[in-house]
Amino acid sequence: MSDDGISKEPMLEMYLFEGEQLVEQLEEIIIKCEKDKKFEMGAINEIFRIMHTIKGSSAMMMFNQIALVAHSMEDLFFFIRANQNVQVDFVGLSDMVLAGIDFIKAEMNKIEQGKVADGLGDELIAEIKTQLTKMKKSYEDESTLPAVVADPVANEATPKYYISSYQPSPDKKTENTKYCVKVFFEEDCKMENIRAYLVVNNLEDIVEEIYYLPVDVIDNEESAIVIRENGFLICFSTAVSYAEVESALNETAFLRKMEIDQVDQYPDEIKALHRRKEIRLDDIPAEVDFRPQLETVETSKDVDAGPGNNRQQNIISVSVAKLDMLMDIVGEIVISEAMVTKNPDLAGLQLEGFSKAARQLRKLTDELQDIVMSIRMVPVSMVFHKMNRIVRDMSKRLDKEVNLEIIGENTEVDKNIIDHLSDPLMHLIRNAMDHGLESKDDRMAAGKPSAGKITLEAKNSGGDVLIIVRDDGKGLNRDKILNKARERGLVHKAENELTDKEVFSYILLAGFSTNEQVTEFSGRGVGMDVVTKNIEKIGGSLAIESVCGKGTEIFVKIPLTLAIIDGIEVGVGKSRYTIPTISIRESFRIDEKDVTSDGDGNEMIMIRGQCYPVLRIHRMFNIKNSVTRIGDGIMVMIESDAKIACLFVDKLVGEQQVVVKALPRYLKKVQGIAGCTILGDGGISLILDAHGILARQLA
Amino acid sequence: MKNVLIVDDTMFMRLSLKTMLEKNGFNVIGEAANGAIAVEKYQELHPDIVTMDITMPVVDGLEALRQIRAIDGQAKVVMVSAMGQEVMIRNAVMAGAKNFIVKPFTEESVIKVLSKV
Repeated sequence: MSDDGISKEPMLEMYLFEGEQLVEQLEEIIIKCEKDKKFEMGAINEIFRIMHTIKGSSAMMMFNQIALVAHSMEDLFFFIRANQNVQVDFVGLSDMVLAGIDFIKAEMNKIEQGKVADGLGDELIAEIKTQLTKMKKSYEDESTLPAVVADPVANEATPKYYISSYQPSPDKKTENTKYCVKVFFEEDCKMENIRAYLVVNNLEDIVEEIYYLPVDVIDNEESAIVIRENGFLICFSTAVSYAEVESALNETAFLRKMEIDQVDQYPDEIKALHRRKEIRLDDIPAEVDFRPQLETVETSKDVDAGPGNNRQQNIISVSVAKLDMLMDIVGEIVISEAMVTKNPDLAGLQLEGFSKAARQLRKLTDELQDIVMSIRMVPVSMVFHKMNRIVRDMSKRLDKEVNLEIIGENTEVDKNIIDHLSDPLMHLIRNAMDHGLESKDDRMAAGKPSAGKITLEAKNSGGDVLIIVRDDGKGLNRDKILNKARERGLVHKAENELTDKEVFSYILLAGFSTNEQVTEFSGRGVGMDVVTKNIEKIGGSLAIESVCGKGTEIFVKIPLTLAIIDGIEVGVGKSRYTIPTISIRESFRIDEKDVTSDGDGNEMIMIRGQCYPVLRIHRMFNIKNSVTRIGDGIMVMIESDAKIACLFVDKLVGEQQVVVKALPRYLKKVQGIAGCTILGDGGISLILDAHGILARQLA
Repeated sequence: MKNVLIVDDTMFMRLSLKTMLEKNGFNVIGEAANGAIAVEKYQELHPDIVTMDITMPVVDGLEALRQIRAIDGQAKVVMVSAMGQEVMIRNAVMAGAKNFIVKPFTEESVIKVLSKV
């Protein structure tokens, strides 16, 4: 996500937001249809509507290539919708729509990043058009039944004429004034025929009789061309005044020129029309039916029950940047509240009324904080459903049959975290498909069903969310992993003491990959270590369980939010630091004599037979007046990425939940500092980032 | 000042229209995201003009137009529809739509049409 969300033009932002939502919705529908091996009427309507909407919005924003691609797909589904029994090549069609989705996604991504949407959809459009032509042709060939009419106009053999609802009565005719009006519309106003019809409509209430040329404005789109060139001729008789006639005619939009003449006689072409009309009326009176034709619409109304109906009624969307600001301010309010109610100036005072009010304030600020947090929570379903597409694409290319089961998609996490979840999960799913699940033959040989199964599950566990990626594939091979780990020099423990879990966790380390073959999807040089890093970046952790021959489970534990963390506050000199509890293993006091140093002066301590480096915070950040004698301070052992070190600090101050605030922009990014937080007494505490500190010191 | 009810299933289109209309002295008194809400809002707000998208979920624009016209024969409904939907526009006009706007629209064209209605 770009962080300049708030500065973007609201219209563009809205376009992208809705566009992306629609595309994802569409993708879901397609994948579901493909799974069901049929396109339900509801789905076809939905696809048509989404493409139509994307086309409209994109054209408004002048993203013409997106509009064109969407338009061609809209046409395709218009045809399918109108001819429901047409033979559809599901696989080809799904592929094509997905290709279109990918194109639109890519373009929207470019736009989002402020780049020019320069992709060309020509090839894709041509392909879609070919498909449409093919479909139309095969439909015509096969279908012996009369076609379900897509376009009522196309099938109307006999033109129908407009007759004023105001029935002319012969005896009154003489009192009326006859008019001949010629109307010209503005160039490029489009659909002149319908506009002409609107002119007639406007006159309807005031005229006795009315004739016009061309006659077939409503039924024949070609008449627009005639009107564009020769104008639209209307002849009518009316009892109302000239002024009224003029005002009725002036309601016409896009009027370029209008000639109004009062006449004694209609011109010849209109007279001829008059006669023809009468004959026609005698011939086929039943054909004159001007009720609105709503067949195509009615079908859509009944079946249109796709996902997301009515969803906009009670929901507003708010930019994340605004929520971040709100969160920030609420965080400060919570702190200010503590600063006021626990102010040292109050010490020793008996303030009954104040205490009561303070308690009330605290209750409300707590509630406020909870509400703001809950506003930021979004379900993981969006990210989870993205995986459908990956499973689909990969199962096709790897020729593996795979069912993806999604459990607990309504589990919520903070918006900030959701954005970082997609990549790691994608990677895990890819791994499961590529390395985890066996080929069809191997599965059969092992007595398993030929279709593999991947489960993606989310659930709350305490203050965290647990996401589990489970496959029923071949499982991890302990010996192979151990061999590889030994080769890479990753094993620091007696091998027979290693638990399975410890062995499996080697694959999470940097530079580890047991797959000799680099496949298209995974093993592109980035391995599980990248997943680990991404997950740790958002304060999460990974664990693996696997049973050989039965499958693998990967547990991803992530915090509910990034905005509030549990931390241990430590003091160094006059400064305060907060160490995230998640990265602390233990803390302990040791004696000066336990510390040894190597040739370069790097200090180390031996704990339970393991050697760990000692990092003195006061040295790292140049703090004066701090404790320097090891025996007077305390050691805090931190861990990240399986690297461990002991931080030497003066004292532990306490444990608390803190609201994480980013460092101000004018401070350059300091390695080892993740942000800051304001303490109850108004002081500032820097939040240490274990990953950064370890990288900084061990580099 | 004319009161307008904007009916469209996308926030993007509603925002576009609203911005254009408010700049030109129209008063947007309500918005609806589908035809069913549009009919409800019409009865509640009695707008002077309704801009009506055609392709919408639940109840589409044509059906909403018909329902609104059934409630109020004088209702002024302007269809907003994309190119390529000539047939729909034709049907809407025959069902009593006062005029129509073709997407993609410009501010000029929107005002030209709505000021005549």
